[in-house]
Amino acid sequence: MTDVELAIQNGELQLKTAITNIQGTFSYEDTAYHLPISYALTGIPVHDRNTSLDVFSRTKDNSLVASEIILAKKTAGNGKEESPYTGFIGDSTIRKLGYSLVDGSILGLALIVGTPESAGSAAAICRELQEKYMLTFLAGPVIPSLSSAGVKLGLEYRLIPLGSSALYSVHFVDIIARVAMMFGGVTPGDMHRLLSYAAERAKAIVIILPGLSDEEIALVDGMRVLGFPILSLGDYQKGAWISATPENIVRTGMELKGIRVNVTAIPIPMGCSPAFEGKSIRKEEMFVEFGGGRSPAFELLQMKNANEIKDGQVTVIGPEIDSMKEGSANPLAIIIEVAGKTMKKDYEPVLERRIHNFVNYGEGSWHVAQRDLIWVRLSKEAVAKGVRIEHLGKLLASKFRMDFPQLLDAVSVTLITDPEKILVAKTEAERVYDERDARIKGMRDGDVNTFYSCTLCQTFAPNHVCVITPERPALCGAISWLDGKIAYEISPAGANQPIEKGAVINVLNGEFDGVNRFVKKASHGEIDRCSLYSVMEYPMTCCGCFECIALMLPEVNGIMVVNREFKGLTPSGMSFSTLAGTIGGGAQTPGFAGISKGYILSDRFLQGEGGIERLVWMPAQLKEELKPRLIKKFNEQGKPDLFDKIADETKAATIEDLMVYLDSVKHPAQTMKPLV
Amino acid sequence: MVSDVNFGWSSTIVKVILGATKTNGGTRRLSYQIGGGTTLPFLEGTPDFSGPLIAFEICDDPQNWSSIVRNYCQDIVNDCGEWAHAADSVYGADMIRLYLTSTRQRNFSDIASVGKTVESVLSKTSLPLIIEGSNESTIDSEVFLKCGEAGEGERLLLGTAEAGRYRSIAAAAMAYNHSVIAQSPIDVNLAKQLNILLKEIGVARDHIVIDPYTGSLGYGFEYSYSAMERIRFAALKGDADLAMPVICSAIDSLTVKEVRDAEPAIQDDIAVQWEFTTGLAAAAAGAEIICVRHPRTIPLLRKAFTNLKSEKTDMGGQ
Repeated sequence: MTDVELAIQNGELQLKTAITNIQGTFSYEDTAYHLPISYALTGIPVHDRNTSLDVFSRTKDNSLVASEIILAKKTAGNGKEESPYTGFIGDSTIRKLGYSLVDGSILGLALIVGTPESAGSAAAICRELQEKYMLTFLAGPVIPSLSSAGVKLGLEYRLIPLGSSALYSVHFVDIIARVAMMFGGVTPGDMHRLLSYAAERAKAIVIILPGLSDEEIALVDGMRVLGFPILSLGDYQKGAWISATPENIVRTGMELKGIRVNVTAIPIPMGCSPAFEGKSIRKEEMFVEFGGGRSPAFELLQMKNANEIKDGQVTVIGPEIDSMKEGSANPLAIIIEVAGKTMKKDYEPVLERRIHNFVNYGEGSWHVAQRDLIWVRLSKEAVAKGVRIEHLGKLLASKFRMDFPQLLDAVSVTLITDPEKILVAKTEAERVYDERDARIKGMRDGDVNTFYSCTLCQTFAPNHVCVITPERPALCGAISWLDGKIAYEISPAGANQPIEKGAVINVLNGEFDGVNRFVKKASHGEIDRCSLYSVMEYPMTCCGCFECIALMLPEVNGIMVVNREFKGLTPSGMSFSTLAGTIGGGAQTPGFAGISKGYILSDRFLQGEGGIERLVWMPAQLKEELKPRLIKKFNEQGKPDLFDKIADETKAATIEDLMVYLDSVKHPAQTMKPLV
Repeated sequence: MVSDVNFGWSSTIVKVILGATKTNGGTRRLSYQIGGGTTLPFLEGTPDFSGPLIAFEICDDPQNWSSIVRNYCQDIVNDCGEWAHAADSVYGADMIRLYLTSTRQRNFSDIASVGKTVESVLSKTSLPLIIEGSNESTIDSEVFLKCGEAGEGERLLLGTAEAGRYRSIAAAAMAYNHSVIAQSPIDVNLAKQLNILLKEIGVARDHIVIDPYTGSLGYGFEYSYSAMERIRFAALKGDADLAMPVICSAIDSLTVKEVRDAEPAIQDDIAVQWEFTTGLAAAAAGAEIICVRHPRTIPLLRKAFTNLKSEKTDMGGQ
């Protein structure tokens, strides 16, 4: 048993004694950074006894500094150790190494120090580190042990033998200190910057094997201030080291340091790229289809604990494509389980929406709609090339890992094609959908201080800014407040940014000074004011993606809404597409607003104009779609007859008819305050 | 009457240094500092403005290069060192932009040749260089490492970083103190996002040049113009993540239908006119570097820039 705390105390004392007795001059070749750790920490080039003592006391008897000086002195005296040991590594190699770290071809750095219990277990740890694109440095008896087991060492194998004793692990730290100075803009002597660089940027872990002396324990423990997880195998007790097993030590270390393996290639026999997203698979091109009202189908993404998921695992439950009849509709459940240190339950629906994009990225796969309304097709061409149901799973597992490397550590996919089993799974999915709906449903604009923007459409509507609130989804209907919030957390530089609501300017119109400030900036100075709940005064700008258009009809003192699907003329004398052409492109058009269907049901709908009582006309199909929820809402408000008072094209196709109709039903808008 | 050219802008475009002379650790005979603008180009009252730089584009494997350029430049196109030398001493370019088109062949693997090519061009011209590496993610890492290494100390401009592919270029720039071209597809928000990504990985703001992606005149240039205008306005109004100099290269100019279908006798003239007009428009939008492929375009652009600088426009005066 080794008591780490006691060992550190002893070790520090021994190091101090050694430093006090240091004599002569010493320096490294091939570096502009002197003794790099000392230089980075203090800005002082250490070459002799005086500078050594000075730096040692300035760093409050730091054991890394002490070990660095002792090793430099030792190297100057005895010369470099013989091959395979590298000893101190020169700047030009470090530059290349830093390159690989920034470039991502090396994910992180590991140090293994000590004496392994068996060569085999050390070799297994090294192999795992190699597979995970880590660059591993070795110090001490572990090196001959690996060599004896036939493990090849050297930079090309990403296993670097630093030196024969654990003291040489100093070089691991001097490399990181130099990377910080070369790449991290850390000025020598700026200890604070160095430590924060090491903690935040340096992806390094330390693996400790048995057999370290007290000085060596003090040395490796000194690396804790750099924010590296110190993981130990063997009988080390007490102290702040994390005890692990040979099987989990690499994974635990990488997880603690947030080092993730990226997926770069998707192993499926069809192309996969956003370039294929726009293509559709027509009936005659299709081999099989799933859902679309023809067979049960749904998709569900849920978060699990890391130990419940095997990353990349794809399971197909039920028949594969070869036992499906060409042209047939089959059941399909797409169940995705994900895990990640920063993953949150709230993100589930946002990630789930990406299934749509990802399946469409496949050259021969096609997907529409969401949840239990999905409709998926695989093309004949793809199936002829060997694409199977399983490959949809592989595509999804890889794409989720590729597109959310910061968020997800593991993704597994289960695809159910069995007609019995899918029904059981679907019941569970429906329960999850209901739960999610309930979570956003109760939320009010007054409950939050932050709204979210969406400027995704600025590509074609340069000054358009969507302001998304809990009660007013984006005008396209695709992004709720929660989606905006999560999108911002996942991608802080992306198209959804937080908007501080600020002070209220006009409570009814929903005008806030924080929103105005944001909109002014995000619209590049074009739009000064934005009312969230008014169509008449400073309405929100419109891109072109709105689900519906709300517009004022001055003749009847009311507001009508028309949805994109309605092809006919509205009482305004214009069709949806004519109206869309008039108000889109990022302009603010008083009297007109682009809105989502969901917003019609919101209590904030038309608040500036007196509320939903202003609504005089909607296409019959939209009315029908919203009927259950509208009727419920009207009943709650004590206006059960309002639903029937809202006209549609069957009751009033023109403005004249509408005037007559509203008169006959005594629509409340008629007696409201004049709109103009 | 003098027009009011004060738009109330308060910010300055970041200055980026391209090329290093001997005193700064390189071997270039001159070094440029681009950026530093506080308003739109060619306006009255901006005497310091020296006009955009003109970069001449060459490549190390010309088989897919415009035949118009190959016919004009003749055999020299087969030796990119000599071609660079001509661009410097005969064509009169300010910079050379070398496309390592050899890396874009199928299954390219001769990484060592990349370093040799860069070194040979560096030895044949002492103008600052722009190097365009591979455009295949599987070899990016090795190619950009070689480019960065071969040009160490020379303050190259390396291209081209995109949202999904920027790590290797960023790494080469950081390891060997070069700058990076950050290209986004004609979209101010994506341009900003890429700059933020580069910043997060550690590339300094004064080591980034924005390429807003330039469509040829008549083939989408108006979109590029609008994106450039908005990038520059945002920068001058204070958006630090967009306040970088801009590089434009309308590489499609020589292959548009009007040039392809032109009578052989006038094809060369049409090509030059097309490239010139696109380049001039990009300069008017505020680009700091204009890239061209036809040698005859260079003197035309230079003359136009000189005229624009010296002519005092009297808006509305009689």
